[in-house]
Amino acid sequence: MENFDVESKRVDDVAVIYPKGYLNNIVGEKLEKECTAFIDRGILKIVLDFHEMEFINSIGISLLLSIIERLRTSKGVLCFSSMKKAHRDVFEMLGLTKYVLVFENEAEALKRLQDGTAS
Amino acid sequence: MNLQLKKILYNLSALADLGQEITSAEKFNTQIRAALYVIMGTFIAVKGAILFYQRDQASLVTLSSKGFDGTWPEQLPVAVEQIAGLEKNRPYTLGDGRQPEILAEEGQDAKWLETVRAAGAALLVPLWTRDRFVGALFLSEKLGNERYTPEDFDLLRLIAHQMAITLHNHELFADLTRQVEENRRLYDQMRRIYHDTIQAFAAAIDAKDVYTKNHSYRVARYVVAIGRELGWAEQEIEGLYIAGLLHDVGKIILRDEILKKQSPLSQQERDEVQRHSMVSFDILSKINFPWANIVSTVRHHHERLDGNGYPDALKGEELSEGEKILILADSFDAMTTDRPYRKRLDLRAALEELTRNIGTQFDPRIMTAFCNVLDKEINHQLPNPDILPHLASDFDPSIIVSMLRAITQQLST
Repeated sequence: MENFDVESKRVDDVAVIYPKGYLNNIVGEKLEKECTAFIDRGILKIVLDFHEMEFINSIGISLLLSIIERLRTSKGVLCFSSMKKAHRDVFEMLGLTKYVLVFENEAEALKRLQDGTAS
Repeated sequence: MNLQLKKILYNLSALADLGQEITSAEKFNTQIRAALYVIMGTFIAVKGAILFYQRDQASLVTLSSKGFDGTWPEQLPVAVEQIAGLEKNRPYTLGDGRQPEILAEEGQDAKWLETVRAAGAALLVPLWTRDRFVGALFLSEKLGNERYTPEDFDLLRLIAHQMAITLHNHELFADLTRQVEENRRLYDQMRRIYHDTIQAFAAAIDAKDVYTKNHSYRVARYVVAIGRELGWAEQEIEGLYIAGLLHDVGKIILRDEILKKQSPLSQQERDEVQRHSMVSFDILSKINFPWANIVSTVRHHHERLDGNGYPDALKGEELSEGEKILILADSFDAMTTDRPYRKRLDLRAALEELTRNIGTQFDPRIMTAFCNVLDKEINHQLPNPDILPHLASDFDPSIIVSMLRAITQQLST
């Protein structure tokens, strides 16, 4: 049974992507594919909103790494929003948060990106 | 919780993730891809690849790679001597502009190393089981070019050991699969040779008697049709087919004058003809057939339900189903082909003759099955008919079908 899914929406030139459920196995590749699809279409501002993500393990981390690296090389901006404390702790410990912008929620991330002050 | 402790816990859970992925029910390539993700997620490496060592090609072949954007090679030619000197499952840095650690140690000119460094690999871990080099793990620098720590290297050794065992198990399994396939191929080949030999043998019998040309082959096809109609398993049907092909092998002893004689046979000549089923039995009983009943089926193909047949004068239920099938099929072919002493019967007359002898010579169940399968063949309900192609076409299908249905109707009451 697959217990992971991805949804996304477009807000102007920003893509907001919602990983949902357990990001802990190969099914999580959906998330990377979703992000890549936006990047390939020239959408280089991406918000990953984690409010519906239940769990993440090393596999999920490697997928986030790919997304970070892809946006770094395309000179895009990646925002993390609505992280649960446990997830935020892991991201910080591993140093991921140094390479993304962190926001309390999606609205703040969008506001910042649309102000144009983020890039 | 301090950072160090958090890191240890994360690493422990990554080891657990790895165990879960390499023992999952997924296909091998998916397992390896998931394992690579675990490793990259553990060390925050943005690029990574797992390769297995293909001995016969002296190459490392990529099983899974990530993050290289198409620059990673599918195959890396590398002689085992170039790897053999490296410490088992130990991470080696490939250097960032400096002399790679391996080249410094081994003094080797290794083109494959240049290839992987150019693609972005910064770390090589040769994967070994106890005494067998099975593959390699490559990782890039960490995100943001952070350095690998001595603790990272300790953990990598553990992980490399796990991966080596996984690759080795897969190699063993692949060898086993190859062997099973080879055995199956040999078995099929043997089986073909076996069948061809039996066919050739049957053709030799049929060739001896021009009047019964292809008799064995037709009887074999008829018994298969009836056996299948009665719901026999394919394996058993194969035995029945062989019995059909070989039932007349004893005719090899008959003199040509008897085989070709147009006038009625003398008692002595009849006795001689009747010996053929015993001779068939004697010849075939020396062969260890994989089907238990072939020899007795052959021996009894001239028995009758009423006990007036030969050689053992068996009665009714003393005869097996296979024997009863062969008795009917053999007689039907004898009736529908020309003999030196008479012309063949047409299909209608042959069916009448069979019907007349139900209960005395032929078993009603076998007759019913025979009528049913012939009915189906005439009505094109069977893709590969066994009986119809061997019959003369001088009959009216609709008359024959009504006749067949009348016979089965009568037999069912």
